[in-house]
Amino acid sequence: MRTSSPGVRGGKADSKSSRTRRPCSCETEQICPNKAPGEEGDPKALQQAADEGRPHQAPSTSQLSPAPPAPAQLVQKAHELMWYVLVKDQKRMIIWFPDMVKDVIGSYKKWCRSILRRTSLILARVFGLHLRLTSLHTMEFSLVKALEPEELDRVALSNRMPMTGLLLMILSLIYVKGRGARESAVWNVLRILGLRPWKKHSTFGDVRKLITEEFVQQNYLKYQRVPHVEPPEYEFFWGSRASREITKMQIMEFLARVFKKNPQAWPSRYREALEEARALREAHPTAHCPRNSVSED
Amino acid sequence: MQGNTRRTGIMTDVHRRFLQLLMTHGVLEECDVKRLQKHCYKVHDCNATIEKLEDFINNINSVLESLYIEIKKGVTEDDGRPIYALVNLATTSISKMASDFAENELDLFRKALELIIDSDTGFASSTNILNLVDQLKGKKMRKKEAEHVLQKFVQSKWLIEKEGEFTLHGRAILEMDQYIRETYPDAVKVCNICRSLLIQGQSCETCGIRMHLPCVAKYFQSNSEPHCPHCNDYWPHEVPVFDPEKERETGMSRSNKRSLRSRQH
Repeated sequence: MRTSSPGVRGGKADSKSSRTRRPCSCETEQICPNKAPGEEGDPKALQQAADEGRPHQAPSTSQLSPAPPAPAQLVQKAHELMWYVLVKDQKRMIIWFPDMVKDVIGSYKKWCRSILRRTSLILARVFGLHLRLTSLHTMEFSLVKALEPEELDRVALSNRMPMTGLLLMILSLIYVKGRGARESAVWNVLRILGLRPWKKHSTFGDVRKLITEEFVQQNYLKYQRVPHVEPPEYEFFWGSRASREITKMQIMEFLARVFKKNPQAWPSRYREALEEARALREAHPTAHCPRNSVSED
Repeated sequence: MQGNTRRTGIMTDVHRRFLQLLMTHGVLEECDVKRLQKHCYKVHDCNATIEKLEDFINNINSVLESLYIEIKKGVTEDDGRPIYALVNLATTSISKMASDFAENELDLFRKALELIIDSDTGFASSTNILNLVDQLKGKKMRKKEAEHVLQKFVQSKWLIEKEGEFTLHGRAILEMDQYIRETYPDAVKVCNICRSLLIQGQSCETCGIRMHLPCVAKYFQSNSEPHCPHCNDYWPHEVPVFDPEKERETGMSRSNKRSLRSRQH
């Protein structure tokens, strides 16, 4: 899935001061600039570390071999962090920096930057994924595909990604309506897939729980009470994560496939999608560099 | 060099995308893996000849080796379908599940796992699992809730349910192989033929050795009088018959090995 928010990236000029302060073998405490008391790792500096892990931005490979007290253990931590991030992403859970520290980095907090750098490098080289800080405020990271062409790979296994299909149906309904979709409308659409709120489905399980709780928890949907309506009714909106990861153009392509129509059959929506696509291209001119090299760096 | 391969494993965008997608899906059957491989070639290198799957995967694994992860191939115990998953070899805990479930839910899984491994059939009854609900770590869980959690495990493909009894899904066996061997070294059962972890299978009533159903099928193929490979006593169970190229059909042994079945994809 693709993120459409501008990632936070410090310019190289800013980072010089933080880069010279690196862990040294005499175990003096690493001082992170702008560090709040008790808080390890300025997120901006961390993003720089994550960025430095990306091959086409890494200044020189010698910077990636610091002299920490226990190099082999740092490497192991980087591997653990890599797996942790991959699993969180697989489960579509938020990758939260404080969790990373609590669950993986632990007592190696002092070297979290170098660990993060190494992890990013591995993720980029082996998986073609960028570990990107998507929100400075909430300290959330996400894994972003770095390969061209970027597309939802559901095409490869279209009948094997039911969750995405289900979510996309709801998101596209909301999008086409141009406002929130009432729960009744959503169920009308899901009926086409043979899904009912009271029936357990072999793949999805409890569908109602999935869409009103799980997708909401994962920030793909928002489920809110419609104001001033009795008896109470609820409606769905796009969640913040959906807005970040799914583009309007992807929705148009999905609709086109499902209804076997040209995306321009929804002219105003298509226009919106085009505008968003243009805005995104302008915001990320260098976002996609196809890499096909056998040996890197 | 950190994170780099020490051998000449070739990592191109084809391999990277394959890894991304394999990771996204968790566990895949062989037919889907082949389709995935084809897709990755199509997207990134459509002119290249598609490498044989085994070599393709070995190539990737040589790069992953230094990261202590591996694309592992397993076989479903009940009907012999090959499955693939990306597993972490360095782990000694139920780490993959850890981020999904609460402490008491994880403990429920551990209890169910223990019952399954200790059992003779490889299955643990729902009743027996639920009776352990009071012993769980973490927040107190009621039986009703525990039933729901067990269903969550089934949906996430950690457990399989058959007639009120639970056993391990092929995925769990693949991913937790190491954990199980290390945590239950005495109770763990091993297949006499392939030497891998065994949960469900057939056993010799005389000497007690065990074999996976697909291993039995292969070993006693076209043998009208099967005998135990260890003690040579008459093998008392029905020998199942599997078509290894079956795709997405539930395991049913058929008497006709060569039944023609059209591929779905």
